[in-house]
Amino acid sequence: MPDDPSCRTDEHSVVAKAQNLVLRYGEHTAIAASSFVIPARAVTAVIGPNGSGKSTVLNALAGLVEPASGSLEVLGGSASRARERVSYVLQSVTVPLGTPLTVAETVGMGRYPSLGLWRRRSDNDRQRVQTAMERLQITALARRHLTELSGGQRQRVYVAQGVAQGHEVLLLDEPLTGLDLVSARTIDAIIHSERHRGCSVVLTTHDLEEARAADHVLLMNGRVVASGAPADVLTLANLEAAYGLGALHGSAATFVDDPAHPRAPVAGPRPYALEDNTRQPPAREGDGEPDDDAAHDVEHSDR
Amino acid sequence: MDWLIEPFALGFQQRALVGGVIAGMMASVVGTWLVLRGMSFFGDAFVHGVVPGIAAAVLFDFSPFLGAAIAAAVMVLGIELVHRQTALNEDTAIGLLFVGMLALGVVIISRSSSYTGSLTTILFGDALGVTSEGLVAQAALAVVVVVLAVLLYRPLLALSFDRTKAEALGMRPALTHGVLLVLIAAAVIGSYQSVGTLLVFGLLVGPPATAALLSRSVPMMMTMAVGIAVVSVWLGLVLSFHWGTAGSATMAIVPIVLFFLTLAATRLLAHRRRRLARHRDTRAADAAAQAAR
Repeated sequence: MPDDPSCRTDEHSVVAKAQNLVLRYGEHTAIAASSFVIPARAVTAVIGPNGSGKSTVLNALAGLVEPASGSLEVLGGSASRARERVSYVLQSVTVPLGTPLTVAETVGMGRYPSLGLWRRRSDNDRQRVQTAMERLQITALARRHLTELSGGQRQRVYVAQGVAQGHEVLLLDEPLTGLDLVSARTIDAIIHSERHRGCSVVLTTHDLEEARAADHVLLMNGRVVASGAPADVLTLANLEAAYGLGALHGSAATFVDDPAHPRAPVAGPRPYALEDNTRQPPAREGDGEPDDDAAHDVEHSDR
Repeated sequence: MDWLIEPFALGFQQRALVGGVIAGMMASVVGTWLVLRGMSFFGDAFVHGVVPGIAAAVLFDFSPFLGAAIAAAVMVLGIELVHRQTALNEDTAIGLLFVGMLALGVVIISRSSSYTGSLTTILFGDALGVTSEGLVAQAALAVVVVVLAVLLYRPLLALSFDRTKAEALGMRPALTHGVLLVLIAAAVIGSYQSVGTLLVFGLLVGPPATAALLSRSVPMMMTMAVGIAVVSVWLGLVLSFHWGTAGSATMAIVPIVLFFLTLAATRLLAHRRRRLARHRDTRAADAAAQAAR
């Protein structure tokens, strides 16, 4: 695998530094005044309930949302100036079904920031696309259409697109939500290998286990409730402040109620069992057959 | 063979063919992006939106290109205004401007002494009335439109993929969207004499939609769309000559018929392929069972 020299962020000790940062969409305040730091060469997890501003933080880091007030420095400058060095994998891309786009071309779009409008692809560009596909284990799907893939395969394609882009920071919006086991494991391996290569990774998640596996955590609820090492941030008091009283299940507070990500019972070990094998999850209305989220749970219990 | 050549024996018939082919090429290249972006309703409204501009140009004797450009700008600004200033979605804004602009066009042209003739020409074109000077202007516009639509391949593809992703990739989606609107307007303006504002939509959407059923990539879709548009124009003129039907309308209906024929053929082929695969599986299972015995 060719090393990516642009991944070394030695000159920056932090990816981002926010001071009293306020982010708005029109009249709606998505993030109230918050100050935080995101360290370089680390995996940072952004966690919080739905609508807490997790994706907004990523949008701001990608330079897609300007600060309404306060300041945000990304890689030592403004977010819009750092855009070329930041690769952003969106949570949901709704490509029209009729679009004749192959996997290879979709991953190749990751090279657009360095190719610009007209520069022809070089061998290096082609090599990077090829390497990204190999790392995400989608080389065999290169000529397939996006519409012919499963949800998990498509998510791997989008992550490969992000990886193919030369970057120092990789932003991933809920990269593991609702994935099959193979896709979740592949993307999880990429997250950690990116850090080992000297890149910084910032991801959003609803999964406390995933947040605990990170190096740094931002806990959100319309503002940054707490930030720092997982052990310092993911305390019962902080989680109750972010999610509200009664939202936590299990003595180790591993689950949080989130209507968008219902948990279903599955055979085998589950994350809460990592710390308390004797507890069963409380019965929930509407629990049924195992779904993708359930497979996701099993994946994390293996870590 | 005579049946195919006879319709193009005279000069005005040849000009109709050349004008239609240029209109078809221009419309299908721009239409590819229109279809990929899922903006067909907008495209439909847009081609009607230029009617008042062309009507005013006919009535007050100024360039129809200028009139159509002004009307297109008013249309886009109106849609943006309704969309941004109200909670209504973009579809409603497009619908409002669609009807409003078409009605305004008819109101303006109704002041003309040759009301019916002018309105028919604007809406349905006058393929047999294309002049040599008109062809030169149309060809020049077509070169600009096709070259821009091809040169802007990356930003247009990124925009078709996802607007936010296009922004993150630095492909300036707002500017690209604006350029696409200009290209659509130019294709409509450049085609209206050959096929009319109402029927140019058939060439904008028909060939790219048919090509989408057969293509594995966007460049292939664009190339096939151009081919289908050229065949549609030629076949439309041949049929209109022999059947005595309106040239522009026959040209516009051919790609729509081709779309449904292609759809039926692709579905039949897929069905046949599935049946063959099932048959193969059954035979393999029978062979395995026999071998086991």
